[in-house]
Amino acid sequence: MENKLGLDFIARSIKTTSIVLVIVLSFGLMYLGVYPALALFSGGVWGVLNLMFLSILVQQTIKPGEINKAKVALLLMVKFPLLYAAGYALLVIDVFDQLFLVAGFSLVLVIIVLKVVGRAMFLDQKKSDTNRLQEAG
Amino acid sequence: MDWKAMLAFSAPLAVGLAAIGSGLGIGKAVGSAMEAMGRQPEAAGKIQTAMIIGAAFIEALTIYVFIVFIMANGKLG
Repeated sequence: MENKLGLDFIARSIKTTSIVLVIVLSFGLMYLGVYPALALFSGGVWGVLNLMFLSILVQQTIKPGEINKAKVALLLMVKFPLLYAAGYALLVIDVFDQLFLVAGFSLVLVIIVLKVVGRAMFLDQKKSDTNRLQEAG
Repeated sequence: MDWKAMLAFSAPLAVGLAAIGSGLGIGKAVGSAMEAMGRQPEAAGKIQTAMIIGAAFIEALTIYVFIVFIMANGKLG
């Protein structure tokens, strides 16, 4: 396993978060109730969309060659007014508990941290195993 | 000065300070990433990934402060 922290890392993190969100939603519906579970899920979906749009925006704007201005403008329109307005609407309506929304929003960040920590630990372990084998051989 | 007045004064101030801090942080991160990509174009993918993750974390901090502001605002009634 190489230390690949390329652009696909974000796509994989988003995929993992989506799977975890579905699991959290099903367990949340069972143990927390409908509205807390939906708040967790909505916060998580918002966080995933935010990261996704940020990633696409950076990839579209910072690249060699010509930039598709219409696409960048569309992405900016979606991320900054629309997504943020949706987040604000989620926060101010009384249906969802804000703490559950925050917990859901943080899920994608937690998964990124755990993936990086796991990768670092696994690579360190693999390196030390390789060194031990080389010393023994 | 009662606690409501103190809260009404400090909550928007906290959001403003967080926004300033985040703006400076993202600016520094993106600037450094641009320099790094200019020096090593072959590592642009890795640098972009690190920059996106950093930007997401910095943005999250401001969003947390904003949520705390909305919660505090709710307490003010």
